[in-house]
Amino acid sequence: MSKMNNTTDLAANYLLPLAKKAGIETAWDRFAAMKPQCGFGELGVCCRICWKGPCRIDPFGNGPQKGVCGADAHTIVARNLIRMIAAGAAAHSDHGRHVALTLLEVGEGHAPAYRIKDEQKLRSIAEKLNLAPAGKDIKQVAKEVALASLEDFSRQNYSIPCNWAKETMTAERVDKLVELGVMPHNIDAVIAEIMSRTHVGCDADAVNVLLGGLKGALADYTGMYLSTELSDVLFGTPEPVVTAANLGVLKEDAVNIAVHGHNPILSEIVCDVALKMNEEAKKAGAKEGINIVGICCTGNEVMMRRGIPLATNYLSQELALITGAVDAMVVDVQCIMPAVTSLAECFHTEVITTVPVNKITGATHIEFHEDTALDSAKKIVELAIDAFKRRDNRKVNIPDYKQTAIAGFSAEAIIDALSKLNAKDPLKPLIDNIVNGNIQGIALFAGCNNPRVTQDNNFITIAKELAQNNVLMLATGCGAGAFAKNGLMTQEATEAYAGDSLKAVLTTIGKAAGLNGPLPLVLHMGSCVDNTRAVKVAVAIANKLGVDLDKLPVVASAPELMAEKAVAIGTWAVTLGIPTHIGIVPQIMGSSVVAEFLTEKARDLLGGYFIVETNPEKAAAKLVAAIKERRKGLGI
Amino acid sequence: MERAKENFFIYADPRKCLGCKNCELACAIAHADCDLQTAVTQGLQLQPRNSVVQVDDMVMPIQCRQCEDAPCALACPTGAIYQENGFVKINEGNCVGCKVCAMVCPFGAIIVTKDINDKGNHRTKKGKARKCDLCFNRIQDNNEFSCACVEACPTKAIMLVDYESYRKKLIEERGKELVRAHTKTTA
Repeated sequence: MSKMNNTTDLAANYLLPLAKKAGIETAWDRFAAMKPQCGFGELGVCCRICWKGPCRIDPFGNGPQKGVCGADAHTIVARNLIRMIAAGAAAHSDHGRHVALTLLEVGEGHAPAYRIKDEQKLRSIAEKLNLAPAGKDIKQVAKEVALASLEDFSRQNYSIPCNWAKETMTAERVDKLVELGVMPHNIDAVIAEIMSRTHVGCDADAVNVLLGGLKGALADYTGMYLSTELSDVLFGTPEPVVTAANLGVLKEDAVNIAVHGHNPILSEIVCDVALKMNEEAKKAGAKEGINIVGICCTGNEVMMRRGIPLATNYLSQELALITGAVDAMVVDVQCIMPAVTSLAECFHTEVITTVPVNKITGATHIEFHEDTALDSAKKIVELAIDAFKRRDNRKVNIPDYKQTAIAGFSAEAIIDALSKLNAKDPLKPLIDNIVNGNIQGIALFAGCNNPRVTQDNNFITIAKELAQNNVLMLATGCGAGAFAKNGLMTQEATEAYAGDSLKAVLTTIGKAAGLNGPLPLVLHMGSCVDNTRAVKVAVAIANKLGVDLDKLPVVASAPELMAEKAVAIGTWAVTLGIPTHIGIVPQIMGSSVVAEFLTEKARDLLGGYFIVETNPEKAAAKLVAAIKERRKGLGI
Repeated sequence: MERAKENFFIYADPRKCLGCKNCELACAIAHADCDLQTAVTQGLQLQPRNSVVQVDDMVMPIQCRQCEDAPCALACPTGAIYQENGFVKINEGNCVGCKVCAMVCPFGAIIVTKDINDKGNHRTKKGKARKCDLCFNRIQDNNEFSCACVEACPTKAIMLVDYESYRKKLIEERGKELVRAHTKTTA
């Protein structure tokens, strides 16, 4: 059996042998050491929910078929899955809560580091949430929007759906979800409900458990949606911007600060403060001053709004440190490998944690609060400059690999570009091209990296296939990172890989939008919390056509997923009616009931369904087939 | 004539065994020629040839020890069990599934069961004696063993024991201790 490559990333392939030589271990080494992984865990049939266990179901039917309490494989798999969804929803919605609370502080005048950057968007959100903003002071509007958003975390009336869920879907979808009893009324309550219904001796009917999971996934959707929209209000709605990606964006003669994690509440202020402290960095000997780069979704956030280059995505985060050129890695929440601090010990790098509930042993902790954000950010930048002075230049090894990347395609930016073709009815050019088949459909790529597959390879392989089949592609999260690093967010990629009719459409829109050429092959829609940007576009199209989302030729793919957040996102995509591919075998195969529900029954119930396919070529073919089937359904 | 070498066998160290049963899964898969997810999705009732047993606080997998004077081979009425090239082998064509071998095995290491591909009928259930074959089918071109359970064990509790070198190591270790004890008393 030939050994699978670890990664397609050129910078990573340059640094991995150096790490090996230096005796530094990375996630790939730890993954190899972890093999073989537990077969019961892989199938999802291990129950650790009470201390009578752990109980395991024998997947071959020889040994126990029920846990000590009598729960069978279906109950166990379903419970494990929806607990993952709850964790994903908790992560996203805590992020959203943080942003909403910051907006409230701004509305009340307590957070001097922050301001309302996009007043127009704030007012349009207020309209959407039925808050009648006309004539009101902008701070008052901010307060009302923040409170209406926080209501989605506190409402006790089960029969009233969350504002951000109800107002952002097609009416038909809202009715369907309410009827199914899966519409969330309160994000926190739904997460708590999942934990309580999966406690020992509670909900044991696998399908009912899964319905609870759908509700949890929609709570995730709600938290994500408000998170993105309110972030745009505070930090600006992204517009197309040309920048670069991969580790070549680090600079030998600059204080390199890597912002890593997810929440722009921190990174935005670090960026603001760093700009002001450029001279201090120069005084410390850094000829090029301060160079901020992004990792993971914090990277995507600042890339979208400020054009700050992306250093790398999830799986290669450790390699940023192995360059020896990162002076500080500033982290907030989610997807930060605890390995970074022990790795940083081999170098001069300061790893700085900032959130009281996200500390890592070995890191310097500088607590970040909205009211004192500027002071904390200043301390962080000072630490980075200090660390720069200790940098050992003999250990510096910056790979000479970077790619141009055009980012910043918020839903608003896409509509804006389209409005250059038809100012009165911006969606019309897009819909016309979908109807006439120049664009066969739309695919959203999302999700993580996973060492089970060659890093970024599934993303790249599937995208090239879909491009040839004239599918318009959007991407978020570490998927967007993969495309950016590998040069698929460029005009050249459109020229090289897009099918003729797709190329023609992207060129017409790109030229009209003043890009002197086509739009990039894959449109960067933001971080993983920003997947709702794509929903916004899809819902606009659905409403315009007068159909629900489960009729549109729209598909999603998370070909390298790993995180609980990704499990939640995939599940709400299916719940909204979207065929959703996953390229990693989910840890549910131990239950035929759960597997069948998610890949088949969901289709009858919701229109959306999961497609599990680990081979990227076959996955692309299945996604194209799903799009064709939808087109046939619409008679186009 | 060259002296016949003693048979290799699988041994698990109960001090390292966590009882995770991964060796059972790996064994079942190794004898089925498919991967775990496919087997489970297709509902194949695979049968491992080892079993993890717990007695009091001790837990370890039990499997055939490739006995030198194997009771199963002596008891088999059809002569289906025999010694060959360092293995105790079962000729499934001759096995009638009478379970005598299973009854005389001091370790309970023989399982009489049908193969997943063998469809029984009203005349026969197609049950045959099966046991650890040291993953005979996985032995590579260079004649190296590749036992699925050994590879699957996360704590490295399971090993393939070459009796001769195992004994040699034991002798060396005990010898060293004796020499040390001797030097101490004479010094």
